[in-house]
Amino acid sequence: MVLAVFFGSPTIYAVDVITNITADTASITTTQLRRIYSMRQIKWANGVPITIFVLSSTHPTHQKFCKDTLRLFPYQLDRIWDKLTFSGMGISPTVVMSEKALIKAVQSTTGAIGYIENINEVSDVNLLKIDE
Amino acid sequence: MSICLKLMNKMSCKVICLLALLTFNVQAQEGHFADPLKIHGFVAQGVIDVDNSNFVNDDGEISLKLTEIGLNTSYQLSDDYRFAAQAVYLNGGNRYNEGLRIDYFLIDWNAYSSEQWQANLYVGRFKNAHWLHSSTRDIPFARPSILLPQGTYFDGFRDIAIGGDGAALKLTYNSDEYGEFDFNFSRGKSPIDSDDSEVILSNFAQGNIEHELDTQASFYWRPVFSQWRFGLTLLDSEFNYMGESPDFFVDGRFVFQFYTMNALYEGEHWEFTTEILQTRFLTEGFYAPQYHQDNIGQGGYFQAVYKVDQQLKFIGRYENFYTNKDDKQGDKLQQQSFGTVPDYFAYQHDAMLGFSYDFSDGLRVNAEYHWVKGTARLNPIVLPNPEANSEHWKMWAIQLMYWF
Repeated sequence: MVLAVFFGSPTIYAVDVITNITADTASITTTQLRRIYSMRQIKWANGVPITIFVLSSTHPTHQKFCKDTLRLFPYQLDRIWDKLTFSGMGISPTVVMSEKALIKAVQSTTGAIGYIENINEVSDVNLLKIDE
Repeated sequence: MSICLKLMNKMSCKVICLLALLTFNVQAQEGHFADPLKIHGFVAQGVIDVDNSNFVNDDGEISLKLTEIGLNTSYQLSDDYRFAAQAVYLNGGNRYNEGLRIDYFLIDWNAYSSEQWQANLYVGRFKNAHWLHSSTRDIPFARPSILLPQGTYFDGFRDIAIGGDGAALKLTYNSDEYGEFDFNFSRGKSPIDSDDSEVILSNFAQGNIEHELDTQASFYWRPVFSQWRFGLTLLDSEFNYMGESPDFFVDGRFVFQFYTMNALYEGEHWEFTTEILQTRFLTEGFYAPQYHQDNIGQGGYFQAVYKVDQQLKFIGRYENFYTNKDDKQGDKLQQQSFGTVPDYFAYQHDAMLGFSYDFSDGLRVNAEYHWVKGTARLNPIVLPNPEANSEHWKMWAIQLMYWF
């Protein structure tokens, strides 16, 4: 209840989640998305490794995705990724410069996941339904 | 493995060159979306001024000895195996030994992976991932302040505490009902060269100190969708000192045990952190053949961060640390040393205020001011220097950092 107050309605998503067609999944839960973006789940259910693409942490779409969809603040993800990257314990997502580049990266990378506003313009990717 | 890693220390410069070459290679391959090779790094330079203590230098002048440079690489060898390494150059004056070192150099084996569970085994030189800031203590932009609370993150122990040569296990479990659980376990030993010995033991020590195998474990829990995270950490380690002839010290044995509890709250504007610690420091021999001291130390800190916006944040912290919980005022210490070690070497309390400002992605300035009472966490820890260190001392620092 408290989180809903902080982050707004949990059922309306301003940002859509897309995956490469090899990800072989039609829907995803918010907790699973959080696991993926905090690098706690690194493979899809079919065993394909997950490759994550993100925009820079100051990009408005990234901020909206973190707060509204993941219910995390961007700095929390930065902290997790920096810790993994600079301790040798893991890797962080690949940062791309624009939404256009992000779509292209997801389309062409096996097991890739990303997010985008205005999904109507995109083809050759899976659009995931987000379940609570 | 240990001999190889000792050789690696001497080859730090070559490793930095190799990493630089790999960086060039990555730039040449731009356009590949999921490159198995990743390169990251940072450069930070600061100014620091300490009054009434030799924390950084002996002359008390403003110092530029606040330099941190690092370069790391990660290469995905296959779906389950990855290589990772990081080399750093540090200059912190008296805080630790100046120079290049290999922070980690390891093979990461993703032994098991599912939607709920993940198990990774790291073999080689691994970084200590147990304490709240241990794996990022020398990463300027990833730690909360320029100087970390010295009770937990004592700079004199930096090279010993940063990690070890051996193996580490990380196990994570995700429950939709109960939240996220992390368990870390590691066994390894840190190579200690003569320069490190000098920082910790003073230049009167002619012998060698060796770190025997140490064991560490930690457990973290974040409830579902919670902004809180809680942790417990345990460390058990042993060191042996072999005196030379002639030597100011004799053969000795040190046992260091360290337990912490921590809590972290991450809100939109406010962030709160606390770490509470208890240590056991056993000394046998070293000062004299029959010398025996077994102290339980205690301490902790509370830290608050207020984020004004995405660029500007303010930080405040208060820390208490006592080397012996049964001698908090240092009376016994002064008595047992026949007055040569003043009572204020039994504690160190630090109040800090600071801010940080992000100019852009990857470019930040940090600034802070410390008011310190006591000198329990100053090098060389085994041979306190009352002439250079007063009970009350102050310092300020500003550091500019860039990372990619």
